[in-house]
Amino acid sequence: MIEVDGLRKQYGDLVAVDGVGFSAGEGKIFGLLGPNGAGKSTTISCMSGLLTPTDGRVRIMGHDIVHEPRAAKQQLGVVPQELALYEDLSARDNLTYWAAAYGLSGTGLRDRVDSVLEYVGLLDRASDPPKAYSGGMKRRLNFACGVVHEPKVLLLDEPTAGVDPQSRARLLDLVRAQAAKGTSVLYTTHYMEEAQELCDSLAIIDHGKLIAMGTLAELRAMVGERDLVRVVGHFDPERIRPALAELPDSEVLTADQDSVMLAVKGAALQLPAVLQALAAAGGHLRETTFTEPSLETLFMKLTGRELRE
Amino acid sequence: MRFLIASVVKDLKWRLADPMALALWVGIPLIIGTLVGLATGGGGGSGTLKAKLLVVDQDETLAAQLLMGAFSQGQLAEMFDVEEVDLASGEIRMDNGDASAMLVIPADLATAVLSEEPAVLRLVTNPAQRILPGIVEQVLEVLVEGTFYLQRLFGEQLRMMTEELPQGESMPGDAAVADIATQINRAMSGLEGTLFPPVILLETVVDRPETEAFNFALLFFPGMMFMSLIFVAQGLSEDLWNERKQGTLRRVAVSPAPLAVFLGGKVLTAAVLMAGASLVGMLLAVVLIDVELSRLPLAVAWSTLGGLSMLCMFMLLQLLATSQRGGGLLVSVVMFPLLMIGGSFFPSEAMPGWMAMIGGWTPNGLTVEQLKMVMAFDYQWGELGRSAAALAVGAAALVSLVWWRLRTFAVQ
Ligand SMILES: Nc1ncnc2c1ncn2[C@@H]1O[C@H](COP(=O)(O)OP(=O)(O)OP(=O)(O)O)[C@@H](O)[C@H]1O
Ligand SMILES: [Mg+2]
Repeated sequence: MIEVDGLRKQYGDLVAVDGVGFSAGEGKIFGLLGPNGAGKSTTISCMSGLLTPTDGRVRIMGHDIVHEPRAAKQQLGVVPQELALYEDLSARDNLTYWAAAYGLSGTGLRDRVDSVLEYVGLLDRASDPPKAYSGGMKRRLNFACGVVHEPKVLLLDEPTAGVDPQSRARLLDLVRAQAAKGTSVLYTTHYMEEAQELCDSLAIIDHGKLIAMGTLAELRAMVGERDLVRVVGHFDPERIRPALAELPDSEVLTADQDSVMLAVKGAALQLPAVLQALAAAGGHLRETTFTEPSLETLFMKLTGRELRE
Repeated sequence: MRFLIASVVKDLKWRLADPMALALWVGIPLIIGTLVGLATGGGGGSGTLKAKLLVVDQDETLAAQLLMGAFSQGQLAEMFDVEEVDLASGEIRMDNGDASAMLVIPADLATAVLSEEPAVLRLVTNPAQRILPGIVEQVLEVLVEGTFYLQRLFGEQLRMMTEELPQGESMPGDAAVADIATQINRAMSGLEGTLFPPVILLETVVDRPETEAFNFALLFFPGMMFMSLIFVAQGLSEDLWNERKQGTLRRVAVSPAPLAVFLGGKVLTAAVLMAGASLVGMLLAVVLIDVELSRLPLAVAWSTLGGLSMLCMFMLLQLLATSQRGGGLLVSVVMFPLLMIGGSFFPSEAMPGWMAMIGGWTPNGLTVEQLKMVMAFDYQWGELGRSAAALAVGAAALVSLVWWRLRTFAVQ
């Protein structure tokens, strides 16, 4: 069980996390989707007791992370965004150390390390140090280090960053398997496909604030039925807005000198009319894309920016 | 407790994964030591290591000249720089720590020797130095006895020699004195069994522990050996940055394991590595320079304690810096002067008085000075205990600061 309430973290004047609140029950995966610098890692650092929140509270299995750090941390597994491994020690030594940090010992520890190694598919490479691993294998070991003590709550900070598709699919399976065992998972990412695939419910974070939250279906409904059309070129915003306003079932989201973005119902059929209207209003067109409704379009609709900008 | 052991095992494995670095830590001091040895011992240019012996000659006769001559020949000449002074200026210079020892030869020495009456030689030694004053004392003791027996055996000849001196000259030439002194030295070994009580008494003003058979390498070896422990401390102190850089420090911080235990693991690991390094050094000392095997355990324990205090200091310096490079630089900037004045490059006996004095207050200087005693001389438990307490208290204070700082360091 994860409960976050009114979480706020300030660095001087910069508010990195601003009033974030959500919860995730047993066996649930909660996704936190946001672009670079949105405040995802800061949220996780506050939740794991690494940073002291400026305000708000975090409870892990009912234990307040600030007031009962030992009890909360005991239930918590963290998979950090940056690899956190001893590159020169074997995978087994790495896991053994982290298991010991959570109080495991003896045969219990050894059995657990072996089963985690098997679980992440590294048993045959267990004696090799991570410096001899591929990027994907390192990510898997990084994940294994976070779950070796069988935490009740798992915080994952972009665990698939820079990983090949095969390893990524493997990692997502591992996350699902954790949730299936009853672990509450917080999964941050800036890949909307991952969030869509994995999460029971999710929130979109931008500039430290949650700008949308709900189940995937609820968020999809917020986008509506309309596709997102984006045209790049050279435009006169003053003339374009009235010209586009005459098109049926469409809404201009943003319009500036070098790009225009609008939501259009049935864009595949409407596209010629849109382009014509733009040309008639004196625009020079260079590139056009349209996307079906998704979290990405929701993010664009809410912020006027692309998720990966 | 389990996490402490796990931390030590982890850190040791981590270190052993890089045996080259370990070899360098122990090897570099040995190389430097060899170079220093070649530069000072091998070429005969022992300019850096000379004890200044001040002599106040109130006697001005052959007997005094004999005494002084003994310090100016053979091996002793390489170690001692004898200078005649008057009592007042000699005392001032001793107070300033300018010399290893001052010998006051009483006015009645010659008469006393010749007429078998008691006389007192006074030796003032420099408390900031340990070994060279000890040698002075040892040589004097032998000379005093020797002079006495000489007088017993060759009294007639001596009397004749003094009487035969040309008018206006109160003493024979340098060559003659050196010659006689050489004969004294040679004669001494044969005289050991003789049972006459000595007439001349030697009084040492500052009590020095008795020196035993002296080995020149002992001046250099402890400082050199401790240098490898200092390198171990330097290398291990960088681990804090490595742990942070590779994200493992954060992992510890988010785990329920206390950072203090993690830090304790680092200190214990250092203790194991340092004990290992000093064991290697001490075994070399046993083999190469005849240090007694029975002194080895205390020497290893003592140097490990000293090494740990250095580690704690270096760790704090690392954490005060804002980058790993800055930390490394800061440690180096502090370490090299400390090595210098703490007796690792050249022994305190060869330093100017003020430098030896400051060096004695540094943790490494303190360790090295006591290590010399532990390795080869009659160390005193009281003094050793006080020094150990000072090092332990200092280390504990430093490591508390490290722990306090580590908590914010982990998340920066
Ligand atoms: N120690 C710090 N001091 C000052 N500002 C910080 C600090 N750490 C993070 N920030 C700022 O806080 C904001 C949120 O950063 P955070 O790392 O949480 O973003 P993120 O969502 O994890 O981004 P990414 O997807 O790139 O990992 C950023 O503007 C960042 O510059
Ligand atoms: Mg991040």
